[in-house]
Amino acid sequence: SCSSLAGIMLLEVFLVLGAVIIYFLFSKKKEETLPFKEGWWGKGEKPDTEEDTTIRPFKVETTEEELSDLFRRLDQARFTEPLENSCFHYGTNLVYLRKVVSYWKNQFNWKKQVEVLNKYPQFKTKIQGIDIHFVHVKPPRLPEGQSAKPLLMVHGWPGSFYEFYKIIPLLTDPASHGLSDEHVFEVICPSIPGYGFSEAPHKKDFNSVSAASVFYELMLRLGFNEFYAQGGDWGWLICTNLAQIAPNHMKGLHLNLASVTNMGFTHLLSILLGRYLPGLFGFQDEDVRRMFPFLKKGLYRILLESGYAHIQATKPDTVGCGLNDSPVGLAAYILEKFSTWTDLEFHNLEDGGLERKFNLDDLLTNIMIYWVSGCIVSSMRFYKENLQKGIGKQKHERLTVQVPTGIASFPNELVHTPQAWAQKKYTNIVSFHFMPRGGHFAALEEPELLAEDILQFVGKVEKEQLWRKK
Amino acid sequence: QTILCLPRSFEYSQKNAVLVPAAALGVGGMMVFWLRSRHKIKTIEMGDGWWGSGERPLKGKEDESIRPFKIETSDKEIEDLHRRLEQARYTPPLEGAAFHYGFNSNYLRKVVAYWRNQFDWRKQVEVLNKYPHFRTTIEGIDIHFIHVKPSYVPHGRAVQPLLMVHGWPGSFYEFYKIIPLLTEPAGHGLNEGDVVFEVICPSIPGYGFSEAPHQKGFDTIATARIFHKLMNRLGFKQYYVQGGDWGSRITTNMAQMLPQSVKGLHVNFVFINKQGLRRMISVMLGAYVPWLVGLIREDVRRTYPFMQKNIYDLLRESGYLHIQATKPDTAGCGLNDSPVGLAAYILEKFSTWTDKSFLHQDDGGLESKYSLDELLTNVMIYWVTSSIVSSMRFYKENFSKVPDLAVHDRVGVYVPTGIAAFPQEIVHTPRVWAKQNFKNIITYTYMPRGGHFAAFEEPKLLAQDIMHFVRKVEQL
Repeated sequence: SCSSLAGIMLLEVFLVLGAVIIYFLFSKKKEETLPFKEGWWGKGEKPDTEEDTTIRPFKVETTEEELSDLFRRLDQARFTEPLENSCFHYGTNLVYLRKVVSYWKNQFNWKKQVEVLNKYPQFKTKIQGIDIHFVHVKPPRLPEGQSAKPLLMVHGWPGSFYEFYKIIPLLTDPASHGLSDEHVFEVICPSIPGYGFSEAPHKKDFNSVSAASVFYELMLRLGFNEFYAQGGDWGWLICTNLAQIAPNHMKGLHLNLASVTNMGFTHLLSILLGRYLPGLFGFQDEDVRRMFPFLKKGLYRILLESGYAHIQATKPDTVGCGLNDSPVGLAAYILEKFSTWTDLEFHNLEDGGLERKFNLDDLLTNIMIYWVSGCIVSSMRFYKENLQKGIGKQKHERLTVQVPTGIASFPNELVHTPQAWAQKKYTNIVSFHFMPRGGHFAALEEPELLAEDILQFVGKVEKEQLWRKK
Repeated sequence: QTILCLPRSFEYSQKNAVLVPAAALGVGGMMVFWLRSRHKIKTIEMGDGWWGSGERPLKGKEDESIRPFKIETSDKEIEDLHRRLEQARYTPPLEGAAFHYGFNSNYLRKVVAYWRNQFDWRKQVEVLNKYPHFRTTIEGIDIHFIHVKPSYVPHGRAVQPLLMVHGWPGSFYEFYKIIPLLTEPAGHGLNEGDVVFEVICPSIPGYGFSEAPHQKGFDTIATARIFHKLMNRLGFKQYYVQGGDWGSRITTNMAQMLPQSVKGLHVNFVFINKQGLRRMISVMLGAYVPWLVGLIREDVRRTYPFMQKNIYDLLRESGYLHIQATKPDTAGCGLNDSPVGLAAYILEKFSTWTDKSFLHQDDGGLESKYSLDELLTNVMIYWVTSSIVSSMRFYKENFSKVPDLAVHDRVGVYVPTGIAAFPQEIVHTPRVWAKQNFKNIITYTYMPRGGHFAAFEEPKLLAQDIMHFVRKVEQL
């Protein structure tokens, strides 16, 4: 009777185990995808006629009128004196700003920069009722037997497609830049609707899923059935959503920012105890170094640096109004981010350390894109559309990503996300590297480092044909 | 000593062995209580400060003269303004947005058209100059104020000095409608017994015609001290103080600093105390980043069923506070260069903080409570003085120590206090919460209507409450 009892117990255990295994097997198949978001963002009612799907070449242009209007505003700019010894602690230092404005007036050559912008082919096409602008660069030469791999690169705020101008040649023509040409890309950099030369949505509710859907249509319209995607800042979220909408089309997802917004009890626990028991939570030494002390490097830092997100997520039309009318105000607002998000220590410098990692021509070209397109307000509305319900509350934030993912983790990014957290969302992380230097604007600041990481990631994905395994 | 005697008196009865230590404890306890209560009324230290540029001069006494001041304008100033208004660049609002995304630019165009074509700044300057203005140097900076005395004082009536302090994005101009009600109540249908005031309205340093501090660290305590020095310089030893918004905190600090000088404190807005702030922060965080305070959220949800909604409102309305408390120079830069941007930023507050339902209106309901002339005059004060950036810095100087609002909240307010609670105020502070800080509330009134800019919007209601409060204090 003892052995039969034991036998029954053993049977029960096996049954339970079996049920659990079956449950997991089946639950894996029930992976939810993010539905494609239909929309129509044009003015007024959607017309009955079919949408024009032509792809029209586009060139950035400027006029004398535009330039003289800009100069007049720069000349009449009213500045305020900064407090003594305040460096960049109160925001952009207004004495340094005067120097930038002086350069802008006297040395910066917008006509020349427009030619720089036009060196890559640009196009516009109407999707879901609005004109989408994008840059499309094909490789100048292809090695024998190779085809160019399509790579979608998405910018963020306060950036633009221009951020990619230094990294594009490293990806379309790696051999000429000392990189391996095992993989060569054709790069597509669109402007998010409401940014730069993409038309702004006229209707409410255009969020990251809408942008991902629009870019998905774009890639299909360009004839790409399979592609890679890369992004940071909003580009991170849009490409993530794209991976959730169209996992069968995306071969790989590369990110230089990988925030995790849907956090739970385990995250809280790892914040409290991770410093003392890193191994328990999967933290590496570098993770601990970057994340702790958590109050200082996490919570307080977020509070100190997120004022702009708070006001843009609630009153974008108010805060953007003056910035669309004062180029100096616009420059102060945008340059502050290029300083602080490149290295927090730049707070302590009178000139915000801006010219250590960037040159003024690049910074001002980016600002000019916001100025001449008048898009600052619509760019800010994107915050409200994405954040108004809070963080961690939207459907897509609870869904995971199965597409092979590569993450380049830059040391000066505002907040560090350890791999242990990222892999809860990105279930198929193929590469995760701690980059030796660089901050938020990785493509502009450290194009070689980023390009190398993208190339090695794609190499891994292609070699193991990982994208076929889904 | 009594206790030490015990071992020697082991032959005493057990009753004594109990009574004696009990008595010792009782006496000891009473002594402790008495010692503590003697120090109960703590005050904020006055300290000192220097806000001028460069080093404080070692020699020489500060110039204490009070100089008459008149606001002036010029053709050049007006032409420059007009040019900027004409060249304004707008972004069309989203369809159906009303005021939900901020100031609606379609309505803004109308405001700017009025500003350019009908608003008469020269006439408004005359309006501003109808009350006597002065300037005097305190702690290295020029302090601007208006000082209005009653033109006629009935026999036997005492004139009470009343200091009224504005806030952001307001100015001394907010008090222009209420001043006559306080200096000449009888002439305005207010028969409030024997209370008549002479009113002093200063501009907070960094606002309007008061010079902006050149040094870091200028907070409400420094302001309170400077305003005490001002009243002292004007010859007043005891006075009433009144304020809303920053004015509320400054006048409260004044009462905490020199209670013997403040006869009574009247506020139409109550700053949340430390405990409430901590609670509120965790509740706010819980609504938006639930994983961080998941544990606390459930309690809150059960205890305060309507708080979720209120917290959402508060978060929706506090973006300006967040950016001004962290990056004032960035936030204010464009606003000092674009009058249209400045108007949108400031007038948005006059809309939403007057009535939350104005969010749903295409014109933000602004002209239902105010005239464009009044609103634009206030905006012009920020424009012609270029004070928007320094006005924003005040937020950083005061909120940098947010997690531990040490000083103000450990020191209670013991002077007679009157609170006017307006229904559309951004945050409502119930009397029970206010009592934690204000130990001597004489009047607490639920006002029938009105919002944040009480003096501007409902001057008569506010004047009546101030008088009602002062009468009670005078009777004490």
